[in-house]
Amino acid sequence: MDNLSDLKAIWQTAKTDDLPSSKEMLQLIGTFRRQKLRNKWGAIVASLFFSALILVVLVEIDFHLLTTYIGGALMIISGVLIAVTNFRSLKRFNQLQDCNNLEFLAFIEQTRENQIYFHKKTMVGVVSLCSVGWLLYLYETMYRQPLWLVAVFYAIALIYLGVLWFVVRPRTIRKDALKLEATKKRFETISKQLEL
Amino acid sequence: MSSFEEIYNRYSAQIFRVCMGYTNDADQAKDLVQETFISVWKSLPGFRNQSHISTWIFRIATNHCLRAMEVARRMPVTELPFNLAEAHEEPVEEKLNMLYRCIAELEETDRIIISLELEGLPQAEIADVVGLSNGNIRVKIHRIKEKLTKKFEAYGQLK
Repeated sequence: MDNLSDLKAIWQTAKTDDLPSSKEMLQLIGTFRRQKLRNKWGAIVASLFFSALILVVLVEIDFHLLTTYIGGALMIISGVLIAVTNFRSLKRFNQLQDCNNLEFLAFIEQTRENQIYFHKKTMVGVVSLCSVGWLLYLYETMYRQPLWLVAVFYAIALIYLGVLWFVVRPRTIRKDALKLEATKKRFETISKQLEL
Repeated sequence: MSSFEEIYNRYSAQIFRVCMGYTNDADQAKDLVQETFISVWKSLPGFRNQSHISTWIFRIATNHCLRAMEVARRMPVTELPFNLAEAHEEPVEEKLNMLYRCIAELEETDRIIISLELEGLPQAEIADVVGLSNGNIRVKIHRIKEKLTKKFEAYGQLK
């Protein structure tokens, strides 16, 4: 018996009887799938709900200033952008089933580039639209108030947005950038392994 | 077209062994089997027989293995004891664990290729799963086999 046959014989001795039955697997699929997709679908549903809610408010309430409508529209657009981005990412993963390991590695690399693009462009766009929209939307509640109150109100709003932009966002980007860089290195190593 | 149950009953053990070869961790291998069959279940209605169903399933499983590295560091490689060669008769399970450990010392794609080879897939099918030409796969399998048998022999497990 040659060495490989010996190894094959050993390989086949692995115990597999504690794997779930097909019925148990179908039950597991139900739970697992819901958990896995919850985050993505959660983001899609939440952002669409947010956009719909603002739309209803804009239609139902008779606002006097155009800035309120413009602000609301900007916030609706940012919500829809988040939903579309997440939906496209879900669709990409669902379409990727019958591809070989090489194509899969290329796909993962593309996904990594998309994530970088998302941080650099999409997220900046969404946050800018939402922030400007929010500031404009709030103006109607304040424009009849004394100037000092408007100044204080907008100062607080701007500080809040400043913290989001200059503290929270760079932190998230730094954290994700480290993860993405580590993933990039691993994929480069693995892709090289497939070269002869 | 086979039903999901038929496919699962036919391939789950094979997929488990391949995932076990890749991860050297039974719990992670079971998770990967589960993820593989979730993908199979989702995509089965759209499967158009463009490739063998086994090729399709092994592609899904090995892609899930590759994806797992995004979250996991290099799979665990347990230190081997020095006096193994002196042992006389090891139980089958011990030999199997030794084989997994030797495979775990290989590079990621080598682990996939040798697991598919040990599982008995024809080399043309392995080439389809990995995405290399038949010739390249033949050369790679030859090299990996050499590396693996040397490792195994070094630990005194193969006579």
